[in-house]
Amino acid sequence: MPERGARVAARAETPVYRADWRRGKVASWLTTVDHKRIGILYVGTSLAFFAIGGLLALLMRTQLATANEHFLQREHYNAAVTMHGTTMVFLVVVPILAGLGNFVVPLMIGARDMAFPRLNALSYWLFLLGGVVLMSSFFAGGGAPGTGWYLYPTLSTLHMPGNGMDFLILGLHILSLGSLAGAINFIVTIHNMRARGMSWMRMPLFVWAILTYAWLLLLVLPALSAGLTMLLLDRQADTHFFDPVHGGAPVLYQHVFWFFGHPEVYIMVLPAFGIVSEVLPVFARKPIFGYKAVAFSTAGIAFYSLLVWAHHMFTVGLPVGLDVFFMLSSMVIAIPTGVKIFNWLATIWRGNISFDTPMLFALGLIGVFTIGGLTGVFLAAFPFDWQAHDSYFVVAHMHYVLFGGSIFGIFAGLYYWWPKMFGRALNEGLGKMNFWLFFVGMNLTFMPQHFLGLLGMQRRIYTYEHGGIWEVYNMISTVGSYLMGLGLVAFVANVVLTARRGRRAGNDPWTGDTLEWYTTSPPPPWNFERIPYITSPRPLRDLRRRLAEERGF
Amino acid sequence: MPPGVRRAATAIVVTTAVALAAAAVAYAGNGGLAPPDPKSPNAERINDAYWVIVVFAGFIFFLVEGSLLAFVLKYRRRRRPRTAEGPQIHGSTKLEVAWTVLPVVILALIGAVVFYKLPGIKNVPAARAAGNTTVEIEGHQFYWLFRYPNGAVAIDDMRAPADAVVRERITAPEDGVIHSWWVPQLGGKFDAIPGTVNQTWFEAPAGRYEYRCGELCGIQHAFMNGYVRVLPQREFRAWVDRRAQNATGTELGREEWRGVCQKCHRLDTEFIGPAIGGNPLLADRKGIEPLLREGRGNMPAVGDTWTDEQIDALVNYAKRYAGEGSQGGGAG
Repeated sequence: MPERGARVAARAETPVYRADWRRGKVASWLTTVDHKRIGILYVGTSLAFFAIGGLLALLMRTQLATANEHFLQREHYNAAVTMHGTTMVFLVVVPILAGLGNFVVPLMIGARDMAFPRLNALSYWLFLLGGVVLMSSFFAGGGAPGTGWYLYPTLSTLHMPGNGMDFLILGLHILSLGSLAGAINFIVTIHNMRARGMSWMRMPLFVWAILTYAWLLLLVLPALSAGLTMLLLDRQADTHFFDPVHGGAPVLYQHVFWFFGHPEVYIMVLPAFGIVSEVLPVFARKPIFGYKAVAFSTAGIAFYSLLVWAHHMFTVGLPVGLDVFFMLSSMVIAIPTGVKIFNWLATIWRGNISFDTPMLFALGLIGVFTIGGLTGVFLAAFPFDWQAHDSYFVVAHMHYVLFGGSIFGIFAGLYYWWPKMFGRALNEGLGKMNFWLFFVGMNLTFMPQHFLGLLGMQRRIYTYEHGGIWEVYNMISTVGSYLMGLGLVAFVANVVLTARRGRRAGNDPWTGDTLEWYTTSPPPPWNFERIPYITSPRPLRDLRRRLAEERGF
Repeated sequence: MPPGVRRAATAIVVTTAVALAAAAVAYAGNGGLAPPDPKSPNAERINDAYWVIVVFAGFIFFLVEGSLLAFVLKYRRRRRPRTAEGPQIHGSTKLEVAWTVLPVVILALIGAVVFYKLPGIKNVPAARAAGNTTVEIEGHQFYWLFRYPNGAVAIDDMRAPADAVVRERITAPEDGVIHSWWVPQLGGKFDAIPGTVNQTWFEAPAGRYEYRCGELCGIQHAFMNGYVRVLPQREFRAWVDRRAQNATGTELGREEWRGVCQKCHRLDTEFIGPAIGGNPLLADRKGIEPLLREGRGNMPAVGDTWTDEQIDALVNYAKRYAGEGSQGGGAG
């Protein structure tokens, strides 16, 4: 460390640039094309939307805590239903994964940035714009639409006056454009910019997952855009795509929407699986069990996810042949998913397991996602789906998949990569508190919802008249949701408290396997001084071993 | 994870599980561990399929969660150094094939059970008894309309003959929205889709079975619930004949008033719609007809598929009784 005088002298010697507004503390973030900063912007913005979406959920749970409650009723409740779902899917899970992918993927594959840095910045700003437009539907005439996130006509077309729905559609269009550009960017980057020696079979599994995520987005977002455009035209231009009075078909929209909507589930959950496949080996000190099986199961799930959309539509009266086809194709997906779970279990088998927060979230994901996967098998059996469809059983199933899968995976990733992003680790005590509040809270919230659904409670009702066991289960569920809210508070407190005083992480706090731990924390704008030749999926372990050998161990 | 935290966590999880199980047992019946007590052959077969899947899913559940817990406990770090590696096992083709084939077999078995049960769930049994009937079920914003072969009409309260095959034809008016007809004890749900007819059936002993609307259909979706009253054959026959002969009578008028008007209106206070007490339209057959058939502003066309007699029934009832028994209750 040079003396103060020397440092002042050094500063004087550095070439003087003209004052550039782009270097300002705020402006540098507004104009950045650095994948790491864009990734952080994505993550931060998504977390803000997560708080909004979570608050909407707490409002709904408060209304449902007891029978015949008057806290949040009718159009207000229905608006909360719609905006909670839309926010969580489009403004939280998909973009936060884009953010983690943005930050981590170029580092993992040894690239200096994404393939198209400016397009990357455009994707983020479209996401923010789309999010703002979507939220503005709260303030439109008539308020936010009360249709549920899948916006079924004819409720969303002929029976949803006001402009909230139009703002929602516009917001989703903007978000889709941003996601499409981002997907193309990921695909081009991963296909072309991997470090020398990083063949497909040496690529980190999270990169596999993000590649699959990007391909799926590219394949199915156009279907969403088409469906939304038809909705908008039906509303504003008097077309009759979905209006049966004029020969349209409301069920057509459901096919188009779910052709997007089901792969969307895997868009949200496969990258979370990818994070688990990165975290488990590092904290169990073992290689992933069956790298190829895990990688190919990702691709397999993605492929089959394109063939199962109508299992969301078993009650519309499909011909039996189609019911059977979609039951079988949905069951087929359980097989590669099972492969992942068993391979993860085999990965921790005989390991040396450390229970840091990322590992807790990863292990927690295996525990709770399994429940969501198994209830999925129930729902695939379509005669049973006729009972459970549109009931709280489905709400429970879906949250076990999306909270227990996506959100647990995302939080594993956040705690895992936070030190790399900011140079300081998150606090372990608060992290564990966050995990246990989420874990206990989500099981309390969603487990009783299975029972409510089987008892006959349908989804999206703002109140119910039954007391007794209905009320007991609903109250447990509400208490659980508040625990999850506290979990999020613990996370935010963690972020705030460690921002300035957190433990300095160093380059490689977890003794990781992949290339992002090869550079400094946070990495310099150019990422790496030198990029090593890659000889296996675990380049950093190889490097450590080589160093140890050179030192003569 | 420090042992203290683990013990606390285990305690929380175990207590929760016990509390849930206790709550479930304490209150009536199965407490939501299975679909409600089935009362129709198709509902019974769905329940059978459910229990078969429970067995297989339960097996996988205990296999996965059991190994997860066992591995987490057995292979935790203890005093080993943080970076000490476990054995570097990269996979095992045999094992991986095994846990690919195992789910295939289980899923094939589940599929086989579904196929075996399917005809008995889906196909309407061939007509056996003379008491069979068909009910046309229309989902409206926000009530259910039932039409019987002899022209009888009912609102929100469905009657059906006991121990006979009741065929349900489920639809919604073309200018309406999608609803979903669900009687949990009498089989699965089917969507009421504008311009489309879906069919299902039941055959149940006399009793009262709750139905609910499955598909979000607007602001009063939560109140599209009611009962299917399965009556002894003779009683049902008497009811359906009386209703058909008395097509403009008070019984239907009252159902319409409560099921249709009161979901959104009160006599003396503004509810979802304005207060309607003292509104001259209530007694004005010509004036109210376009309002019912076409809607106005935020009011849906609640009577778009009504017969003239149905409108007469409502007006007759409103003229005579609208003043009494209409406060509170209903969709409050």
